Amino acid sequence: MTTEAAGTANQETILVVENDVFARMVISDYLRHCGYKVIEAAGADEALTLMQHLEIKIDVVFSAVQMPGSMDGFRLARWIRDNRPNLDVILTGSVPKAADAAAQLCDESPLPRPYEPQLVADRIRRLRAARSSRGGV
Amino acid sequence: MTAVRIVFSAREAVSAVSAAPRKVLVAEDDVLVRMMIAEELRQRAYAVIEAASADEALLIVSSGEAVDLVLTDIKMPGSMDGLGLAKALRRRWPRVKIVIVSGEQARSLSGSVTADALFGKPYEIEHILACIDDLIGPVTH
Repeated sequence: MTTEAAGTANQETILVVENDVFARMVISDYLRHCGYKVIEAAGADEALTLMQHLEIKIDVVFSAVQMPGSMDGFRLARWIRDNRPNLDVILTGSVPKAADAAAQLCDESPLPRPYEPQLVADRIRRLRAARSSRGGV
Repeated sequence: MTAVRIVFSAREAVSAVSAAPRKVLVAEDDVLVRMMIAEELRQRAYAVIEAASADEALLIVSSGEAVDLVLTDIKMPGSMDGLGLAKALRRRWPRVKIVIVSGEQARSLSGSVTADALFGKPYEIEHILACIDDLIGPVTH
């Protein structure tokens, strides 16, 4: 199965959390092209609003680390770990301390920015495969 | 001569004529509303860009992104609201169609609005989608 077709068999939903509208547009388009359903949030506050609606199906959260507003990507990841532990989280950022902080919150180290969209799709596929092999949803 | 009318669904039309999908920019600060409208439009085969404010929307259009229609809410945070966005769009990109939705009643707004269509409260999403279909249709021909 190619990367582009990864999400088509059983459409999974990716929540993209990114305050830079251009970055959000590019990665969201790419992931849709890969077959994923994508929900876009312009910040952590919007992401929280979405995740508090449990009827909205989300499988993976892809979030920037640095964002304006009441919560950055680290705090958002911590909230997810405490409240929606069934969600996989991928952080992306260019902050040097990101690696250390994110390592405690995510299964893998953050993607450094700028990132290749294909690396994001590969990371998503890997996380979902790992969860599936563990018997998770 | 017998006239034959062939009707395609939006998705069939895209694949049948290899036409490019029309691009709709949705400017809406309520993420739940934005998600719902964007999803409805994508299901109708539109290409959709989501903006969380008028500033984001203007940034996208200013970057040269070829947008066919902007659907905007009026009340939004930032340096301008949806009405300001509509005026800026009409002045600089007069070919871009503009549809405005508002929590206010349309009658109280119509005198001061620059737009191709205005939907005030209460509105049905189906009416907005039908209006967008009429203004641009889901694909280029």
